[in-house]
Amino acid sequence: MMEQGRIADDARAGTTAVPARHATKAAPVRIECTGLTHAGRVRSNNEDHFVIASMRKSVDVTDTNVEDREVFSVLQAPSAHLLVVADGVGGRSGGRIASGMAVQTIVQYLSEAVGCYQRMDVNAEHEFLEHLTSAVQQSHDRIQSEFGSQGGPATTVTMVTLVWPRAYFVHAGDSRAYFLRDGRLRQITQDQTMGDLMVDIGVMKEDEARKGGLFDVLASAVGGELSPSVGLVDLQPDDVLMLCTDGLTRHLDDARIASTLAAAPDSASACKSLIDGALQEGGLDNVTVVVARCTPA
Amino acid sequence: MIQKKICMVGMFGTGKTSLVQRYVYSMFSQKYHSTVGVKVDRKEVQVDGETVKLLLWDIEGRTAEQDIPATYLKGAHGIVYVVDGTRRETLDQLESIQETARRAAGSVPSVVALNKCDLTAEWKLKDKDETALRRRALHSIQTSAKLGEGVEQVFQWVAAATVNAGLAR
Repeated sequence: MMEQGRIADDARAGTTAVPARHATKAAPVRIECTGLTHAGRVRSNNEDHFVIASMRKSVDVTDTNVEDREVFSVLQAPSAHLLVVADGVGGRSGGRIASGMAVQTIVQYLSEAVGCYQRMDVNAEHEFLEHLTSAVQQSHDRIQSEFGSQGGPATTVTMVTLVWPRAYFVHAGDSRAYFLRDGRLRQITQDQTMGDLMVDIGVMKEDEARKGGLFDVLASAVGGELSPSVGLVDLQPDDVLMLCTDGLTRHLDDARIASTLAAAPDSASACKSLIDGALQEGGLDNVTVVVARCTPA
Repeated sequence: MIQKKICMVGMFGTGKTSLVQRYVYSMFSQKYHSTVGVKVDRKEVQVDGETVKLLLWDIEGRTAEQDIPATYLKGAHGIVYVVDGTRRETLDQLESIQETARRAAGSVPSVVALNKCDLTAEWKLKDKDETALRRRALHSIQTSAKLGEGVEQVFQWVAAATVNAGLAR
């Protein structure tokens, strides 16, 4: 059964669908985000985690004789949105711990290093990208220091930081980020599995890699062999951004994801419809979806 | 350390991503993946004994439906135009792509990678095409992301040119 609940408690319980709603106004669009996770129909544990956060300048003007006090209000507005999904892998509860540790470390790191995102000249933008990559690297280091560098638990991480209109992504593993524009769904990230790698470099054909189970083996993961990909995409008003774990994409193809996102009136119902769809198709894995809708303000 | 933003631009499917993959990871992918947005990679090179960090912006290619977004090109220190030597139209489009880039980034050092030179049987470019590029003050290098031919030279050339342009300012 899908239930609503408080994000922190229910997300830790991991057996229910947990919405985390966050809506803010940032001209010229309103970014409205929801995250939802479900253990699926087969697995007893949910090893996925997600987080949605906003980052803002912490300037609170408590008193002033400046006539137009509104000029200060922009300093309090959320300026960046952080969206992360993580899908843990590893025996016993290791995967769950790894994915939880990854999202916690990312948020913690960025909360300390966040001051740079306002100054977007070329060098500052690269510094910002370095910070985002470092956040993922920190989570990797933390997992490895906890569990060792060989054979311990690991996790995928797909992280998008939206500083309107630019969405920066750092990605490791086979969770995914997409955006929907004018009914067309485009996958921003590329899966980093051994299957994809072997097919890419021409060592194996796709069916051989599939038969060998190589699409289930991560070629890059936080806590394992980490080789994150980094990039960005400029969004437009009315775009819908979606992050998900492979519990969704193993059941729903791009056409179904696109039509579901397009039909949903808000991010909460988009998440619910997508997760319902994955469960109806078997729910073989944990499934997590984060949706951000960029509607004109 | 000096940092230089280098943008890879051209029509879709010309091999921009493959050139970066070959240069940064010594890899060549047999499978075509179209880039969405920009993929960012880094590589350090030596120019006149100084370390330069290249920030390689591999920008999604121009298609019939979509031009190269100018916002990605802002602040570029150098540009690598990529032409697929087996598709004549990718060279024919270069002038208008160059104009888009010039409007967004100004006149910055640029080099043209005439890519896929390993496909000799399908090669559509003539010597006079390279001469025409020279007349437009565009340095060109034949490259093969598949075999690695000319790849180092392209990035080394643009790195040196951007550093020298910086010194000249």
